[in-house]
Amino acid sequence: MNTPLSAQSLLTRELLARRRPGYSLEAPFYLSDTILQADMEHIFGKHWIFVAVEPQVPEAGDYITVDFGNNSILIVRDDDMKIQAFHNVCRHRGSRLCASQQGVVGNIVCPYHQWTYDLTGKLIHAKHMGDDFDPSGLGLKPVHIRNLAGLLFICLAENPPEDFEQMAAEMTPYIAPHQLSQCKVAAQIDIVEDCNWKLTMENNRECYHCMSNHPELTISLYEYGFGYQPNEDNKADLQRFQDIMAANHERWEGMGLPSAEIDTLDDRITGFRTQRLPIDRSGQSQTMNAEVASKKLLADFVDPALGGLSFWTQPNSWHHFMSDHIVSFTVLPISATKTLVRTTWCVHKDAVEGVDYTKENLTAVWNATNDQDRRLVEESQIGISTGAYQPGPYSPFTEGLVEKFCNWYVNRLSVLTR
Amino acid sequence: MPTPFYAPDFAAPVSSPWNSDQDETLRCVHVRQETHDVKTFVLAANGPRNFRYLPGQFLTLELEIGGEKINRCYTLSSTPTRPDLVSITVKRVPGGTVSNWLHDNVRVGMELGAMGPSGEFSCFKSPAKSYLFLSGGSGVTPLMSMARALHDLGSDADIVFVHCARTPADVLFAEELTLMARNMPHFRIALVCEQHTPGSNYAGHLGRLDAARLAHIAPDFLQRDVYTCGPAPFMAAVRGLLAGGGFDMLHYREESFSFETLVADATHAPDNQEVPPDNIEVNYKIELQKMGKSFTCPSDQTVLQASVAAGFRLPSSCSGGACGTCKTKKISGTVEMKHAGGIRQREIDQGWFLPCCSKPTSDIVMDR
Repeated sequence: MNTPLSAQSLLTRELLARRRPGYSLEAPFYLSDTILQADMEHIFGKHWIFVAVEPQVPEAGDYITVDFGNNSILIVRDDDMKIQAFHNVCRHRGSRLCASQQGVVGNIVCPYHQWTYDLTGKLIHAKHMGDDFDPSGLGLKPVHIRNLAGLLFICLAENPPEDFEQMAAEMTPYIAPHQLSQCKVAAQIDIVEDCNWKLTMENNRECYHCMSNHPELTISLYEYGFGYQPNEDNKADLQRFQDIMAANHERWEGMGLPSAEIDTLDDRITGFRTQRLPIDRSGQSQTMNAEVASKKLLADFVDPALGGLSFWTQPNSWHHFMSDHIVSFTVLPISATKTLVRTTWCVHKDAVEGVDYTKENLTAVWNATNDQDRRLVEESQIGISTGAYQPGPYSPFTEGLVEKFCNWYVNRLSVLTR
Repeated sequence: MPTPFYAPDFAAPVSSPWNSDQDETLRCVHVRQETHDVKTFVLAANGPRNFRYLPGQFLTLELEIGGEKINRCYTLSSTPTRPDLVSITVKRVPGGTVSNWLHDNVRVGMELGAMGPSGEFSCFKSPAKSYLFLSGGSGVTPLMSMARALHDLGSDADIVFVHCARTPADVLFAEELTLMARNMPHFRIALVCEQHTPGSNYAGHLGRLDAARLAHIAPDFLQRDVYTCGPAPFMAAVRGLLAGGGFDMLHYREESFSFETLVADATHAPDNQEVPPDNIEVNYKIELQKMGKSFTCPSDQTVLQASVAAGFRLPSSCSGGACGTCKTKKISGTVEMKHAGGIRQREIDQGWFLPCCSKPTSDIVMDR
């Protein structure tokens, strides 16, 4: 006999089965706590999710904590310089171990009764537990972690999707030349958006809204990079963009910088997309004048005009790698209607603030853009919550990647809740 | 900027003698790497100077390290027969605040606060016809100063110079000792290394200085005046050897070179009357600044043990340097800490320590 299904599961299944391709999702996907629970269990619980960059834990003993949904994950660099991830929970009576978002530890010590774990998670000290106490089965619960050329992904599943290695093999040649591990975090800003996490992601997967809403971003970013409906008025501009893209791709590939598009957003478990996109004007960086924000270029780069290598991952991140800095975004659900967006700007570790770059200039474009996006997705959330919302059609020209996000999400959830 | 190289005017009248009240600072003019962990720092006065001292004496450096004033004694490895400069020869010591600081920070042109000379450990205080110099590690420095002086003065003193080191790579002044032996008819060298260094051409004694080896090296040691300097266990072993061999200890003199761990307040002259002999405990004062209290900690107890014994309750759990619960900022003083991962080097560098696994090596003020 099959296990009886809960009403919640039946609801989720029915909603998933009803999804109409080419249309936005039904309201419960953005409002329901039941769906959020399914998202946390199956999407954030069983896939590789991007949580941090390697420069957040540069030295042995450095740790960060990453909280999403009800999870708290501790990521720490051990004495062999290996990055470890654990559930941030004591094996004694469950206290959270590290309360700060970042810090330095010798060993990991529970603040409650000082149970002490070394940086490989082994329990090495527990007082008053008697002579027969066996600490061997009481190490910290490990979490799978992978370092993709400086990008840290974790997976809470017992058996994580194996196609991560395929993504890593394909993406490493794109990302590695920027040498993220040789960078430092110049700025990290968290914002909380009053919306479901999927609205944040969907908004990221299209630039339909860019021209009207992002005056700062569109100084450097061509809006044509994400699909565009051709017409007589924009024909010349579109052609010009295609020509620039072709010429630049040839130039960058010649420099050893892979640039061609790879798109597996909805046909793999670990879906992703990448492409090196031209930057307007001087072609250098996402800043208010499209010139580099840091005079100290990354890696061994001498040419500042390397465009922007974009990398989008399912379900929760996007990144832009430029000649002078890297900006990474991670999206983490707090609740059905609250979402954390963490933006991290990295520059060369030898770049000096106030000399090679200023934080203000480095973060100006995305601070403005994030704030504009926050308003857009919060307005969506409000509109959807009114009850008058019904799924609308996506643009076949500019919203293809939103459709792929929703396809991936619906397919993954359908498979896992079957 | 003055040229760091000291170029005296040899045609000028004799320069004025060293006056440590006036020459409160000495300037580093040269740094020599003697071995992988030993450096010689050559020092000059600010102006022409005639350094006079007894070979074997020490000077006291007055340093400011991490915002804290620290005094340390170092025997002069130089000889007063070359009176324009003085030098000290310093070995890195694991956890040695001052020696490591000197190695890492002293550069040519840098000025160091200095007092001295002082000390009673010198064969020039009671000259004899034959000597046995026994040195362990960088304890060779005062004996080297004496040997250099005797050599420069054309002495025909009968000297057996024994230098004990961990490995051939740790032997100090090997070439210079060989040269002195060539120039002096009655100067003999014996090297004793605990272990061999693979690939070295070392052909001296292997092992430790024991009775048989001593009798082999200096069969007539009973007739010699013995001068010993080295780590406390080395000197204790030598005393045992000599006394066991029927040596008249009236002809025995020793000097400790390891002032860093033995003498908290370097204004005390480190002669053999005032240096605490091996295995004798020293009491240090531990001050809890916020509480306005203090207690005494013997040098063989951890700060935590002593605080508990004194009735204070500092937060702690593992007592073994693993959990870091007792982690405290040290406002002043030095400790020898043997932790088990409960503290990061970065934290130690910032002045933190773990009282549960730290024994004091000076008085300490804690931020508690």
